[in-house]
Amino acid sequence: MSTPALEARQLRKHWPQSGQVLDGCTVRVERRTVHALIGASGSGKSTLLRCLGLLERPDAGSILFEGVTAADGPVVSNDPRVRRCVGMVFQEPNLFPHLTALGNVWLAPHRVLGLDPGEARERARMTLDRVHALHLADRRPDELSGGERQRVAIARALAMEPTVLLCDEPTSALDPMLTREVMAVLRELALDAGTNMVVVTHDMDFVAAAADSVDFLHAGRIRVSGSTDVLGTRGLDAELDRFLQRS
Amino acid sequence: MGAASRPTSGGCSGYPAIDSINRVPSVLAAFLALAATTVAAANDGLASMRAAGVMRWGCDISGGAPFAFPDPSDPDRVIGFEVEIAEDLARRLGVRAERYSADWLALIDGLEAQRCDLLINGFEVTADRARVVAFSSPYFRYAQQLVVRAEDRDRFTSLAALAGSPIAVLNGSASIESLRTAGVPRSLIVEYDDSLAPFTETLLGRVDACLQESFIARFFAGHDERLALVEQTFDPGEYGVVVRKSDGTLLAEVNAALSAMRADGTLGRILQRWGLWNDAQRELGTERGPEVAAIPEAIGTPPADGLPWSLILWSLARAAAMTALLTVVSMPIATFAGLWLAIAILHGPKPLSRLCHGYVLVTRGTPLLVQIFLLYYSLPALGTWLGVPELLTWNKVVVGIVCLAANYAAYEAEIHRAALQAIPRSQWDAAGALGFTPRQTLRFIVIPQSWRLSLPAIINDLNSLIKDSSLVSMIGVQELLAVALGIGKASFAVPSMLVAAAAFYLVLSLLADWFGHSLERRARAVQALPEPIPR
Repeated sequence: MSTPALEARQLRKHWPQSGQVLDGCTVRVERRTVHALIGASGSGKSTLLRCLGLLERPDAGSILFEGVTAADGPVVSNDPRVRRCVGMVFQEPNLFPHLTALGNVWLAPHRVLGLDPGEARERARMTLDRVHALHLADRRPDELSGGERQRVAIARALAMEPTVLLCDEPTSALDPMLTREVMAVLRELALDAGTNMVVVTHDMDFVAAAADSVDFLHAGRIRVSGSTDVLGTRGLDAELDRFLQRS
Repeated sequence: MGAASRPTSGGCSGYPAIDSINRVPSVLAAFLALAATTVAAANDGLASMRAAGVMRWGCDISGGAPFAFPDPSDPDRVIGFEVEIAEDLARRLGVRAERYSADWLALIDGLEAQRCDLLINGFEVTADRARVVAFSSPYFRYAQQLVVRAEDRDRFTSLAALAGSPIAVLNGSASIESLRTAGVPRSLIVEYDDSLAPFTETLLGRVDACLQESFIARFFAGHDERLALVEQTFDPGEYGVVVRKSDGTLLAEVNAALSAMRADGTLGRILQRWGLWNDAQRELGTERGPEVAAIPEAIGTPPADGLPWSLILWSLARAAAMTALLTVVSMPIATFAGLWLAIAILHGPKPLSRLCHGYVLVTRGTPLLVQIFLLYYSLPALGTWLGVPELLTWNKVVVGIVCLAANYAAYEAEIHRAALQAIPRSQWDAAGALGFTPRQTLRFIVIPQSWRLSLPAIINDLNSLIKDSSLVSMIGVQELLAVALGIGKASFAVPSMLVAAAAFYLVLSLLADWFGHSLERRARAVQALPEPIPR
């Protein structure tokens, strides 16, 4: 078996106020796949994703990007080459308000990757084009719709050419119309471009159409893990059945 | 502090920060005296004076006539009987006279910090002062004189006749001691910071009389028919040249020169020119010399053909340029230093963060005036102690700029801190996910946003700094307010000069606002990307 794009082993995390959030989660994302994390609110999906994105330190467990250790317990790598392996898209786009759409996508390739301004600009334009947002290049974030903003945020993450793109419910702040717009872009990226992706989502249509594998979280544990076929099978896990019934 | 027979720059301006100067020297007295002894012991004043070929003599030119004051008909020139004494003295010592200006109450501190060689500025010879500094033989004898309203001329003919009436005096002056000695209760002695105020208060009826040194009484009240001078003067005293106690050889030379000046009629002529001659001067051994008419400036009336406004405005404009220089140099330093302080407080390692927080607390918690005094008078002493006197004896403009910048940096730090904290955590998350280091995140993402938030408050402080910069006049920087007061007192036009100064301040302030708004517009606009490199 080849080295997975991303692997997390026995991650544990607890918050002083809310107690154990992750209780030994193991995630394996193969190359060129889309992996979905599903579960009810408060099940620990977002925390798991933030740990995978190295934005939180796990209490225990390890995270590997293409076989290279990125986190070993609370020790998180500071190596920019390692950190660059993951890109992240949040529930809110969190665009930088002082820059245009193009500037948002341009900044990290120029400042972090050290590309010269012109090269970074070319890359930013190409990436905006991939999310069909090139016509928005000169707009300010406050001049964009929610869906447009989220597409620019996706482009911003993609411009860094991460090994894995982590998406934390990227449409939860959007209405159904805009949700379709953003999900279409993600689906396209996943199916046509073969981008490795981990998506936290409630959107079962997206999971069914675009995801290759899925983990179902409940109370900080991964209850069911496997190909998306598990979603069609009832009786594997009572909590999963209840979750699927509701959604 | 001993008696102050001089008008000070406080009081009539009604500027609270300047009035507080009166308390500063006493607060710092012990510290400065300690520092000064170290300096004074370090070298001999006469030798260094001769080596430089310059006699730096200290005075406060905002004190008004007839001591040393801006010429009402040409405010750039400083005239006065003490200017002439100083120039003659320097000539006799074989050196050139160079004026050192500072607030009167800070002159002795300046002398002890080696900012000048001697002081000639109406310093009464008192036992209190003689404990700290050395006095030459006197060059002028004065007495106390009462001034009353003209209609009370026949009622109040002596101090005894004024029993039970409030009497106005100059804050801390020898007149207070005279009244106390004469048995006037403390509650009836009303002190003012400015030498003009006692006359005004008498006119307004808030007090029944005022007591001043006789020639000042004559100078300010002699030409005003609403006021009357009480004939009988009392409690004579003398002015002497002030030198450091350690400068024994300089003192001897000054005494020899003064004796010659008294004997050959030079001093007598100067006093006559300034309308200060009277028989009491003979008691000091001063020869009258040939008869000389008093010059118009000595009579104490405004120039007959009105104020020379074009010259005055030119003087004020240059003083406003000094105010602008102080502001324009110190505010950017304060803004950037404040940003670094805020970053260190929020993101620095704990010891650095605590240190910077402590700096902000101490700097904001102590008066700017005290900081100016410490840097101007105590830093040279520290330099001498460390063996590097030149390194730490800074020019007064430099001290002014450093103090204003350091003081405002503390305020700007708090503005920046609030603005940095207002940037949502999610911006840090987004940057972190893109691989920005914390330093890059601050530089490229957080600060460009926080700068927009802090800018209005910073422009507000810029406006306030323009006006606070007048505090550095305490160490003799000729900025707008000091120059306006100096000209105002010399030409009996304090209110009009203050209005003129206010107009200049307003212009500076409007310029600051205009600049601030254009900065805000630029900060609000999205940042442009650098142009692509042509292929």
